[in-house]
Amino acid sequence: MTATHEFHVGQRVAPFVIESVEPDRIKTVAAILQDPTPTHLDPAVTRARGMGENLQTQGALNMTWFVEAAMRFAGGADRLVSFNVRFLDNVFAGERFECTGTVTAIDAGAARAELELMATANGRPVLGGTAVIKT
Amino acid sequence: MPDYADLAGRRFPAGTYTLPEYVCWLWSDAAQLPPVYEAHPALAHVVASYGMSVTVQDILDMMDAAPEGGVTFGEFGVEYHGALRAGATYECDAEVLEVERKRGRRAGVFDKLSFKVTIREKGSEAAVAVCTNAWIFPRANGEP
Repeated sequence: MTATHEFHVGQRVAPFVIESVEPDRIKTVAAILQDPTPTHLDPAVTRARGMGENLQTQGALNMTWFVEAAMRFAGGADRLVSFNVRFLDNVFAGERFECTGTVTAIDAGAARAELELMATANGRPVLGGTAVIKT
Repeated sequence: MPDYADLAGRRFPAGTYTLPEYVCWLWSDAAQLPPVYEAHPALAHVVASYGMSVTVQDILDMMDAAPEGGVTFGEFGVEYHGALRAGATYECDAEVLEVERKRGRRAGVFDKLSFKVTIREKGSEAAVAVCTNAWIFPRANGEP
């Protein structure tokens, strides 16, 4: 963990990386969410739709990694105040997911820092957004 | 073409959800994180989804969409006012904020459904978290 509470504007958020998204985990998330979307279940459907050969992750799973990057940088779950994420593109099993960012603002009075975060899958932008953490 | 703007202000059935410890474990494991029996903050999404007593299929039905229709998350946000706890029971109030019909260069015509879910621990007036969702519903030729 990057458990520093001394942040500064321009500081880089340490990358959070999933080296290879595992397909069976996507099926577990589908079961938890009761999400019937077939591109999370059957690679034949992603293939038929011209989306490639692998299962598509759920946005909730991608968002979990986005949050994890902010949490680790903040120093723990209890230091996360809020986040907003935009889903820019799909993530697929087998891809390398990376989320990083920078500190864009510090509010010393409120003891808050704002982060701009961006995530990629195999280098392709897939998530963008912000998070506010306690300083 | 059907217009879904009238859904603004519609409240989803309020309900309760107890966040099981095993779901906390499964979620962290599925996210390829060290599995723990504690609630990851991202589970606010799961609590909100089940606490408002609405499934993905229910939302698809409300928007006249099908699972194979290419529905995606557009945006998601959470404001935390406390920590989620494994084993705790939550009450959720939810309402549709708006439905906007838009046209994108890549997506073509789509409807953007925005809704908010307020999560409170059962018996408490104070919100633990407030979630804001935006889902994207592609509309081929403007039709559902």
